Formats: sequence, structure tokens, C-alpha cells
Amino acid sequence: MPSLIARRTFLAGLGLSAGGLALGFFPADTRADDDPRGGEPPAKPPTRDPAVQAADPALHPNVFIHVALDGLVTITCHRSEMGQGIRSSLPVLLADELGADMARVRVVQADGDPKYGDQNTDGSNSVRGSYEEMRRAAATPRMLLIAAAARRWQVDPGSCHAEGHRVHHPASQRSLDFGELAAAAARLPIPQPDAVVLRPRAELRRIGTELPLIDAPAYVTGQAQYGADISVPGMLIAVIARPPVLGGRVASFDRARALAVPGVRQVLELPAPTPPYAFQPLGGVAVLADNTWAALRGREALGVTWQPGEHATHQSSQQREALLAAVRAPGAPARQLGDATAALAGAARIVEAEYLVPHLAHVPMEPPAALAHVRADGCEIWAPSQHPQAARKEAARILEIDEDRITLHVTFLGGGFGRKSKSDFIAEAVVLSRAAGVPVRVQWTREDDIRHDYFNTVSAQQLTAGLDADGQLVAWRHRTAFPPIDSTFNTDAEAPGPDDLQQGVLDLALSAPHVLAEACAAAPHVRIGWLRSVYNIFHGFAIGSFIDEIAAARNADPREVWLATLGPARVVPLAELGLEKLKNYGQSIAEHPVDAARLRHVIERVTALAGWDEQRRAGRALGLAAHRSFLSYVAVVASVILDPAGRLRVDEVWLVADAGQILSPDRVRAQMEGAVIFGMSHALHGAITLKDGAVEQSNFHDYRLIRMAEAPRAIHVELVASERPPGGVGEPGVPPVAPAIANAVFALTRQRVRELPLARSLKV
Amino acid sequence: MRRPALILAPLIATLASCGPTTPGPPAPGPPAPTPTVAAGQLPAPADFAGISDRAQRSRALFLAASPVFHHPRCANCHPDGDSPLQGMDGHLHDPPVVRGPDDHGVVGMQCQGCHQDRNLELARVPGAPKWALAPRAMAWVGKSAHEICTQLKDLNNNGGKDLQQLVEHNAHDELVAWGWSPGHGREPAPGTQASFGALIAAWVETGAECPQSEAKP
Amino acid sequence: MKLRVNGRERELEVDPEMPLLWALRDLLGLTGTKYGCGQALCGACTVHLDGEVVRACVTPMRRAEGREVTTIEGLSPAGDHPLQRAWTELCVPQCGFCQAGQIMTAAALLREHPQPSDEQIDRSLAGNLCRCGTYLRIRSAVKRAATAVPPVK
Repeated sequence: MPSLIARRTFLAGLGLSAGGLALGFFPADTRADDDPRGGEPPAKPPTRDPAVQAADPALHPNVFIHVALDGLVTITCHRSEMGQGIRSSLPVLLADELGADMARVRVVQADGDPKYGDQNTDGSNSVRGSYEEMRRAAATPRMLLIAAAARRWQVDPGSCHAEGHRVHHPASQRSLDFGELAAAAARLPIPQPDAVVLRPRAELRRIGTELPLIDAPAYVTGQAQYGADISVPGMLIAVIARPPVLGGRVASFDRARALAVPGVRQVLELPAPTPPYAFQPLGGVAVLADNTWAALRGREALGVTWQPGEHATHQSSQQREALLAAVRAPGAPARQLGDATAALAGAARIVEAEYLVPHLAHVPMEPPAALAHVRADGCEIWAPSQHPQAARKEAARILEIDEDRITLHVTFLGGGFGRKSKSDFIAEAVVLSRAAGVPVRVQWTREDDIRHDYFNTVSAQQLTAGLDADGQLVAWRHRTAFPPIDSTFNTDAEAPGPDDLQQGVLDLALSAPHVLAEACAAAPHVRIGWLRSVYNIFHGFAIGSFIDEIAAARNADPREVWLATLGPARVVPLAELGLEKLKNYGQSIAEHPVDAARLRHVIERVTALAGWDEQRRAGRALGLAAHRSFLSYVAVVASVILDPAGRLRVDEVWLVADAGQILSPDRVRAQMEGAVIFGMSHALHGAITLKDGAVEQSNFHDYRLIRMAEAPRAIHVELVASERPPGGVGEPGVPPVAPAIANAVFALTRQRVRELPLARSLKV
Repeated sequence: MRRPALILAPLIATLASCGPTTPGPPAPGPPAPTPTVAAGQLPAPADFAGISDRAQRSRALFLAASPVFHHPRCANCHPDGDSPLQGMDGHLHDPPVVRGPDDHGVVGMQCQGCHQDRNLELARVPGAPKWALAPRAMAWVGKSAHEICTQLKDLNNNGGKDLQQLVEHNAHDELVAWGWSPGHGREPAPGTQASFGALIAAWVETGAECPQSEAKP
Repeated sequence: MKLRVNGRERELEVDPEMPLLWALRDLLGLTGTKYGCGQALCGACTVHLDGEVVRACVTPMRRAEGREVTTIEGLSPAGDHPLQRAWTELCVPQCGFCQAGQIMTAAALLREHPQPSDEQIDRSLAGNLCRCGTYLRIRSAVKRAATAVPPVK
């Protein structure tokens, strides 16, 4: 068995000694400098621990930047890399703010540690949530380097600037390399937070331009290490038989038969979880072996029988009816403007439709895998985690030790989409390593991944529009029913709440004077999770389709109806939305208002790009949809055709995104291209259904994803140039895709499909 | 008197009896007495002894064997088009594969890139030696028993096999054998390779007559 | 049993039915080849067996015995195969997990069809899934590499 210690391998070739990474020793009171949650400045000026400083004389005023004596700048990326390119963008922001030359910058991945602030790589918030703080983290060493140079030259620091890895004093034409200044800078007092000065935006030279993908060489040579790629001496590999039905328990299993498989070393039963399930392991029986094949065979040999559990009578078909019944009756109001009920009753014309979207599975290409080594003094974990601090918490809870005894190394993630924010798979490794007395790497099979996911929730929605005699929208009612994410953490949660409806329902600008949105109850039967754009997937599908249906009812151009429905270009205040408050993805409504102008703009741009008028006149079947999510605005036009075999094909897609300021246009374009394919998968194919409480699907043959041959001939992405604060980019591309396709299908076939996936109704 | 034709299902057809025919001049007459079999089974050649007319007996033997050719385990790899089929409903093979220049797939998606020489249970992938598509000339999907029979005997399009080699192939070939041991919960072809081989041998021995165009078992 | 892996003779004590994927990853420490599905549906495990594309997750070791296996680590000594260069220039990967399999399949394609058509690319790569949706860039990268492939070995 090869013994590759993760950290060394991970940093192989970076030329960093362990001493240069004295990141674990910063005193707590320096955290406020770089804590992206902000908060009160420290009561006294931050100081370095003299012991730390003595151990490493380099410049490292915070956990994000280390300037070595030879000038090598190490930037720590505190967010997980799962394909969104965060390692290729956020560090460049810091390098630009610092004035470093990227050729002399190395990026290292942060372990899970609260000293980095919020490390939850989720909600499309890595840039938008830490932009200011990251800049300040880099401005601090810049100021110190300048101060050190100014002191040496006996000049005013204001007459110096940092650029190209050097500090320059133009007046005397002197300059010094960062390496030559690092030791001196390290001895200067760190500036107070309110004294940290950021560069003018124009001086950030690289961000916003075409940036390289720094990890590409590792990816294309097979060197990048993911969760299952780490091995340590003495490790066993575990494959777990989990209850097919949520809440089910082990009834019997044949331990001896599994142990008889060559290579199998241990068979361990996992504790059964109790609701709320949160991140607890699901229970079941684990087979631990020398290699994965033996573990897989061992699991097959177990012959586990199960006690079914409370959800064993659940059928997706029944749930579908229950959800529809729920939206056919009033729910809890979450948004009210005027009197929609009365207005609908008196409307000249009513348009009404119901939309259904099934459970969806994340299905990252890398199924969950995690390695844990529980020792007497603590625990070391290697995992592809989107939320390393939550995983650490979970491990600490299980082992009943302090979190600071737990080291969690974040590997590359072979896709996340929200699955790897949930630390259940890491918890399994911890539980098994403790029980087995050796390091254990848990490997989920694809079947495990599809059967035991934290599924995106299932939903039904009813939309009702009241039009006046001229076809103008006077009333809008939206009822939405879905088991909420909160049900995974709270057994009482059986209906969506207002914070859930903020995803697409509450933040929709509307021109109607009467608006009502209601949350309708729905009970969970699986672990509900969050999946790339989450509730926006089905809210976007319903709203995007419904506006198109209004257009069809009026025999009007969908683009015109979209613009009329949203109303004029304006920032829409909460009062006009019919709200008292809006969670607004955790950011201030002042900084990120609901801006109808921006949504109108992306609609206008994408239809122009797609040649909406000319193409439709020429008979091409185009569909349009738009959506605001995670503080960004995206509009999509999709074109569909029937291939010679009568199969629906999406042949071309246009997408315009307004995400405010963008660090890496290439990565954002890539996210949007990927979001189109991602959205196509659930628009056309993928659905999770349950029979007798168990998930019916198990692998790619019955949970289909878009393949290369189905990908459009072209995906045209345009990013709106903007100086606005950054919005999200990982998720916002997804919600408009399915409705744009469904609308194009209507244009092509006059068949309105209101239930995903399209494969239920059409040949795809 | 013509008996109404029974619709052939992917499952085994039950063969109904009717009264004995009167020996007389050979004619494409009504179907002769044919044996009843349980679902999933094939009759034995001896069961056709009641058909005294040799040519009729030959046709009946082939008809009795034809549910094997039509069964998805066999027909799925004898498609008319460019791709194999899957399942009992004959949907297109997923992942998408195409015939390629010599019926073994195209580079990157060759049959034996995924299919092994035997079934894999954990992986659900069916396998047998020489796994590949039958050449287009040997397509069976959508063809009647009459058409398949004619095709089977055509030396130019059956891989140059004479009748005896056909018997040998059907009775003993390992890829053909797979139809009866398809693995992983897949419904096998009716009968066994041995009983299928016996019917084919008996058919050849009675002159390898082909059923009428519209005949169905 | 003996086999050659990336040009090096290896000898392994192994269950002949063990899929090549697990021998590569668990016994030889070559983790560039990935597990994605275990049923030859996703292509993440693609390697070359005597130059031909196989899915290692379903290829038993007895089939690899005595033969030459090439993994992503062995595709080119310096990691600069034209496909690897094109992938980097066009910033193809997102999460990167499927890319070794994509590249291995594409390498076999280019050996047989140095100037593949769109249809040939789609057909040959049909078995390689990408959840991040990098397909369009993969197509472009294959075409870019197509002009620079070394002759058949």
C-alpha cells in the first residue's frame, strides 16, 4: 500500500517547508482583521505571538498571505475548489491588491479552521461574501512592505507604491523586491483595520481579465488529489450498506460471510440515527478491507435485511397528489400587495397553471469519500468538503473532544453542487476509524450517492394571473408547496418559510398592483438538501413557464410580456414587493436591491444576442426565461429542434448574466456554460422517485445526465460589464435554463409541459 | 380454414392445438398440429412428429424456434439500425454507441471496451466472448419469421455459413449462448441453447423450409 | 500476475476478477484514474489496454495480464501531450474529475482519426460524462490538439 501523506503530496513541488506554513499559530485577536463576518475591531492593536514570529521571520500578518524571505508569496485559499475556479480567482484578487507577480505566487488550500472566517463554499458567496475582507487581507502586507521600504529609504510611504513584486520609489528610482523587505516588514506593527487602505479599483490589474486556470496542469495529468486519492499507512477502505428507506434499521446480516471475502478485515455496524437526521451517518453495516474491491465484494456478501422504518409506505406518486392538493388551497401568506384574492375574482381573464418538479440528485462526478484517522490525541481528516468547519464540528461532536483537536485537510472536490456541504460522509469515516482503531477511508459507490443523497426537494406550484380587458397583469398569486431543507435539521419543519420563498418568489419584480404568495405545507420523506440554485430551480421553472403561458394566452411576444410583467426599470423597494423584509441571500438590500432594471437588461440583451425577432419570424423555436438568484440576474434563450429520429434536441443556447463585478470572466463564463448543461440534465432527464420509501434510481442508466452528444452546438455567454458589488456566479445560471427549454418546446410543438423532466412527456 | 394469427409477445407464445390434418397433396394449408409449451420453454423436435408432411413439419419447427430470434436478448444485438438496443422494450443502448466500421463500435466506444467475456454481476454489464453487433445483413428487429429464415439461409449474408455450420453456431456458439444466461435479472430467451439447437437441427434435417410470409408461431 | 503499466513491468498478487481500476488505484497508487460509477456508464475510469480504450472499472485483471496498460499518468512523460496542452490553454476543466477519462478517450480518438469531425468527437466521447458541463470546451480542445498529434506509436 503506498503511503502518501496528503499534505506533503498536496504541496509537492510548492517548495514550502512546514515552517513556512505557521498558519496554525496566529493569536485569536488577529482574527478580526480578516474575519469576513466583520464585527467589532479588536480592543487593542493586533500583535504577533513572539514565539510564532521567532519561528518564522517571514511576513505573515494574517492567515491569508505569507511573504517569504526569498519573495515567494503564499496565498491561502480558504474556500473549497469544486470546479468554480475559486483557487484561480480569489488569490489573484489578493495578489493584485498586494502587488505581487503571479509567477511568484503559490496558492495553498486552507485546512478547516475558524481562523479563516467563513469557509462554507456554498450559496455562490465565496467572492461576494469575502471580497472586501480579502482585499483588506492583502492590503495589510502591502502597507507593511511599503512602510519597510520607506523606512529604509527614509522617504514618505505615500511616495511609494507596490507593483510587480517590488516596492517602488519613483522619485529616486529605487525599488526593492518583496523578499528583501519581508523580514523588516514582519517587525512592523500591523495597521489597525480602519487604517487599512485599499487600492483604487483601476489598480487591480489582473482581475477582470482572462486569467489562467492554475490547477489545469494538475487536473490533466492526474496529479490533483480528491477525497479517494489520499492514503495513509494502515488504512482500511470501508464500503457501507445503508438502509434503503430513511429511518430504516439493520435487522440481520451475515458477518462471517463478509469476513470470508479475501481482503476484508472488519465488519462494523453503524449506529442508527434519530431524526432530525442533519449530518448523522445513516447507519447500516460497514465492511472494512485492504482494498476497495474486497470491500465491495464484502458488502455484497453481507446479505443485510432491514427493518423498513417510518417512511416505508411513502410513494412519490402519492406525494405528487398531496403536493397538488396543497397548492389548490390557501397557504401561509409570505408576500402581500393589495388584495389579490378580490382582484382575481374580478379579473376579466384568468390564466392559471400548476407546475411539478421532482426530487433531484446532486450526482457530482466524484461520489462522496473521506478519510479519517482517529488517534488518542485527536483526529486527522482528509475530505472533499464544501464546509470544512461544519465537518470538524461534527467530528468533535462524535468524538466528544474539542474542535481544535481535529485537523481537516480539504482536498480537491470532484464536484460539489451542495452535496459536500453535508458532512455525513465524513462523520461515517470518523465513526468507523474510532471503532476500527485504524485510519478509515469511506468510499460511497454511485448507487450509494444516488440512493442516499440529500435530495433537492420536490415541489408543486400553482400560479394564477388576473388580466384586465387589455391583457395587462392586475393580479398575481403564487402558491408553492415543498418539504423544506429545515426538515433535515428540525422535525417540526413541514412547510416552507418566508426565507425559503426568498428564492425566486418574494424577490420577483411585478407590475401587478395585487400580489399574493403563499407557502403550502409538505412533509419530507427523504433528507432534503440544497442543490445548485436550490429552490430557484423549481420557482424559476414555474415562473419562467408561467409568464410564457400568459404570453401565449394573449398571443403576445414572450419578451414583451416578460418586460411588462416585471414592470419598468427600477429598484423595487420592499413595500412595493409586498414584503416587510427579505433575507436577500444574507446581504444587505441596500447594497443588493431587487433591481428590475438589471433583469430587464439581461432579457433585452439575450434576446438581441439570439436574434429573437428575426429567428422567430424565420420559424425557429426559441424559448425565453430569466431569473434573479444569489443577487445576480440571468436570462436565457434556448432553441430546440427535433432530430431525424423525432427526438427533442437543444441545439443552441444564449445566456446573459449580470453578476456585478467579476474576478475571472473565463471562470464565470465556464460556470454559465456548465449551468446550461446542468439545467438541461434536470430539464430533460433526471428525476428521483420513491417507491415503498426507497429511491428507485441507482446509477447513470436510470438517473441520466446530459452527454456530449446531447450538448448544444453552441452556448453563447455574455457577461454584463458592471462595477456593482459582486453577486453570485456558481448558481444563478441554472434556474432560467429549464423554463427556457420548456418554452421553446411550446414554440416548437404547441405542447405545454408543466412537469419535469421533459422525458415524461416527450421523446428526448 | 385459417386460424387467426396470435400476436407474438416478447414472452413465449403458447402454441394452440387444432385437429389433425388429412394427409394429401402438399399445399400451403392451415397450420398443422403444433405442440403446446409452458411459458419460457421451447418444444422438442419429437413434439412435431404429428406433422406428417415433411415440408410442413420443417416450417413448423422453424416457427417454433422463432421466438428465440425475436426475443430481446437476441434481437437487441441484431438491430436494423446503427445502434444496439436494450431492455425488454428495445430502447436505444445507453451510453449511446454506434455500429462502427466493422460492427464492433467506434474508437472510444467499442463494444469490448466495456463488455467482457462474461457477465459482471456487481457492475450489471452483460458479457460473452466476442461481444459485438451482428452485421446489418443479420438484422432481425422488425422482421417476420419468414424473413429471418430466408436471411439465415442466405450464404452471402450469413457469414458464409452452410446449414450444418448454422446448426453448430446456434447450438454451441458462446455469444449465442449468452441469450440464455444473460445475468443480472435479465429475462433469458425461451428454452435453452440445447433445445433451440435441437429445433434448428431438426429444421435443417427436414429440408430447412421457411414459414409463410404471414406465419407466426 | 504480470503486466506493464505506463511502460513499467509490474507484478501483482491479485484476484483475477479484481477490476483493473482498483488494482491501479489501491495496489499501485495510480490515483489519476477515477471511480465514477462502477458500471462503465461514465468513463471516468478510462485507460488504454494495448492502446485501446477500456473502462477499468469493469476490466478484470485477468484480461490485463501480460498486456500494456496506459493511464493518464503515463500518457506523456512531461504532461505535455497536445491534448493536455489544449486542455490547459482553453481552461477546459472545472472540477477536473472526469478529465483524465476524457483525455484518454480523446487520445485514442486522435490516434485513429487525426482530424476528427464533430460527429466523430461526439460519438467517441459519448461514454465520458461531465457533470460540470465542460463538453463544448472539450470539443474545442480536441480540435485544437488535432493539428499537433504525434504519429501513431
